[in-house]
Amino acid sequence: MIAWLTYVVIGIAVVAAIWGGISTARGRPPGNAQFYWSFLTELGVIVQSVVGFIAIARGHGPAETATSIGYLAGIIVLMPAGIWWGVSDRSRYSGLVMTIAGAAIAVMSLRLLDLWSV
Amino acid sequence: MPDHVSDHPQGRSDVPATRTGPGRVLIAVYGLFAIAATSRAVVQLAIQFHEAPLAYLLSAFSGLVYILATISLALGNRTGRRLAWATIGTELVGVLAVGTASVVVPDAFPQATVWSTYGIGYGFVPLVLPFIGLFWLWRTRTRN
Repeated sequence: MIAWLTYVVIGIAVVAAIWGGISTARGRPPGNAQFYWSFLTELGVIVQSVVGFIAIARGHGPAETATSIGYLAGIIVLMPAGIWWGVSDRSRYSGLVMTIAGAAIAVMSLRLLDLWSV
Repeated sequence: MPDHVSDHPQGRSDVPATRTGPGRVLIAVYGLFAIAATSRAVVQLAIQFHEAPLAYLLSAFSGLVYILATISLALGNRTGRRLAWATIGTELVGVLAVGTASVVVPDAFPQATVWSTYGIGYGFVPLVLPFIGLFWLWRTRTRN
């Protein structure tokens, strides 16, 4: 794992989470710029997971291999689920669903850093 | 009064109230916890079962409860809502019972579960979630 990359992913995901909260508070469905930001978040997440899988394959993974693989795989589906939700349901609450996806990505990335540092 | 039933918007709407608006957010959170708790339990049961059988079986149980709660909320029909009352009620009892037990008898829970210390490992969301879930079921109840 590359620590700075994970921090970047956390930063982008937190912004996506806050953005979702703002659009819900303003009573609007997620806008285009918000979707682009979500795609950027997902891109960062995919790069992070690929880097993580390569590290594990090369034997540089953490002690809890199964948990790490679960996190690296699970984290990928979060934002697409949020985006799909935001596209299919044009209500103000779609933003909040994207908030949950962003927050979960940030927490899981932190947890990955935690696993890798042991 | 048959008129009374058809007056209710629920009678005409295709989408049950339980899964609309804030209900969607609730389903998303439950879905997240279903994935988190279940995958954690699978890893624990598969790799470290001997370390803390009770805690890991409870993890698996909580995962199952979250899965059922997610599905029942997403269904949102009469059966789904009944199942949601049961599963979210179970979730509330579970988080309170396991939370209390893990504080009173910490030796019985050497490894953390989702519900240990009222869900402290997950920012106490597991403690708050069933209250929000039950409130939402109560808010979206039908009167007939």
